[in-house]
Amino acid sequence: MADALLSIEGVAKHFGDVEALSLIDLEINSGQVIGLVGGNGAGKTTLLRLMAGVMEPTNGSITFQGLPVTNMRSKLGVVPEATGLYHRLTAWENIRFHSRIHGIDDEVAWNRTAHFAKLLSIEDSLGRHTKGFSRGMRQKTALLRALAHGPDILLLDEPTAGLDVTSARTVRSLVGKLRDEGGTVIYSTHHLAEARQVCDRIIIVHNGTVRADGSPEDLMGQTGKESLEDAYVALTSDKARSRSEDNQKEGRIARWWRLFLTGRTPAVEVGEDE
Amino acid sequence: MSNSFRTIRSIAKKEIVEFVRDWRTLIAIILIPLLLFPILFIALPLLLESEAAELDALRLDVEWQGAFDDELNTSLSEQKLDITMGTFPVDMENLSDPSSDIERLRSGEVDAILRLKQTGDDTWNYSVIQLSTSEHSREARSRILTELYYWEQSVINRTLTDAGLDPEETLDPVRWEGDEDAANAATSGEKAGLALSMFIPMVLAIWTATSAIQPAIDMTAGERERGTLEALLCLPCTRIELLAGKWLAVATITSVGVGLQIGGLIFAITYLASATSLGVPTISLGAGLLLLFAVVIFAVMVVAFELAIAMKAHSVKEAGTLLGPAILIIIFPALFTQIINLDGVESWWYAVPLVNILLAMRELLLDRIIVDHVAIWAISSALYAGFAAWYAARQFKREDLVASLS
Repeated sequence: MADALLSIEGVAKHFGDVEALSLIDLEINSGQVIGLVGGNGAGKTTLLRLMAGVMEPTNGSITFQGLPVTNMRSKLGVVPEATGLYHRLTAWENIRFHSRIHGIDDEVAWNRTAHFAKLLSIEDSLGRHTKGFSRGMRQKTALLRALAHGPDILLLDEPTAGLDVTSARTVRSLVGKLRDEGGTVIYSTHHLAEARQVCDRIIIVHNGTVRADGSPEDLMGQTGKESLEDAYVALTSDKARSRSEDNQKEGRIARWWRLFLTGRTPAVEVGEDE
Repeated sequence: MSNSFRTIRSIAKKEIVEFVRDWRTLIAIILIPLLLFPILFIALPLLLESEAAELDALRLDVEWQGAFDDELNTSLSEQKLDITMGTFPVDMENLSDPSSDIERLRSGEVDAILRLKQTGDDTWNYSVIQLSTSEHSREARSRILTELYYWEQSVINRTLTDAGLDPEETLDPVRWEGDEDAANAATSGEKAGLALSMFIPMVLAIWTATSAIQPAIDMTAGERERGTLEALLCLPCTRIELLAGKWLAVATITSVGVGLQIGGLIFAITYLASATSLGVPTISLGAGLLLLFAVVIFAVMVVAFELAIAMKAHSVKEAGTLLGPAILIIIFPALFTQIINLDGVESWWYAVPLVNILLAMRELLLDRIIVDHVAIWAISSALYAGFAAWYAARQFKREDLVASLS
């Protein structure tokens, strides 16, 4: 569609023999908070990384307003799960570094940072080294960093994971405010209550495929369930696979050495009960 | 300023700021390189001198066994040796057999024992029993041997004179005339260049390689391990810009370390030059510029290679495991190159990786610009540096870098 901000067409992603994502078709329009919901190893992070343009799909294409997303990374703000802050830099230095790579003037970046820092209540910590920051402070700083250049889409990978109740609430509140101001946020989480609270649209990812896509009410109506959790369980009833990253190839020498040192792990017998 | 250059500069600046904020790093890249050569060249000789003076001042106990000589006794006494006469062991067949004196030496009762046996009118056999693991015993032996040498000369001169011969003409019939140093056509600057060419290339090579390891690992595998690389890869910059920024940062940090070390070396040499006959090397502007080019191209190659290896690793530990032994690739050629004879060296040596740059540095420090050699090492080194940069770029383009370990 012409007015889609981000278009994902026929995207598949393989890591060696492992198919992390298969045939994903999505369109992201502006002004929405979209929740990517799924269990561990479902493919949420891989999909976010593809949307962020740091990985290339094996098949299909991802475009931002008709152009390959890899060329449009300046339009995106990304908060990876690990936050990725430099501990020997202050919060502001972390933000300024990213803004400069985005080609944003320091003053502009500072004004935006100061605005959002007040909303997140960390304006007094911008001059502190991030080494001593709590998980919540790091997450908030990473959010400021992702917002400082004024992105068109904000990609958040599990932004409330490991946060205390207050910090998680502050982050959710900021996401809500961004939506109110017309911003677009893609929000990966495996907390259904949070997704229901924050997101206008929920995309359920399971075993590398999109199992459902719609508003929370749509998903419940589609499955005939009364709660989002029941709807999720009904949509993802088949066994979840292990994480794609866990299926890394082991070299022949590394395998021989591992077996030499530790011996073979006995296979788990799966048989009929006596 | 182009966007690309601005991006590279921002990345390099961030890396350097982050790196130098660790005080341990400052010690490693500034203090140690700066003090290394002054300590080696100035403090160490001063310490050795002071220790030697302390040893010289010692009075040592020596037991004299066997034949006695007044003249020798006087000269030994003048060397701060306290002589006591002992009993020559009965039935001693071999003067060097410590026999029962061994315990007296070990207990420190005496520092050394001189045994002297007259075998003719003007002939003697002797031995000095010592404990070589004791400083005092070694020093006592050394003083005894020195005085024995002078006493022997005196005996020889006396015998020759008694026989009607001139000792000087008899013992030294072929003699050097004039100042031996004046016969050397090399200037003091050239001699200093030769001395420096024996270790400057080796120091430059080893120090460049070793001082680049820590920042290279920190900025690659360290970023992966700390989980900062994914956020960095999400930025609107190419992987080549990222590599260039990191390369610039590592090269800057390494250059500062190597520069300070060379500064310390020059200071130490200047200090030594004022105290000894060693001069300051003189090289032409052309040789100086080529030397700088050789160092730069070497740094390009080494830093790119180390960044690539470190980026290939999944963790800091793995990077250290890979890069530690890789340093041997630098150290062995650096050592071997020191023994290659520059006069008549085969041209193909100038195409061998690492060896070529080290030979080039040696040649340039001697102010020799041989066009064929320069062409071979410059072209081959540029190719090797290009290959290292290409390999590093490949590593930086790997997709699995995104998957951070934190």
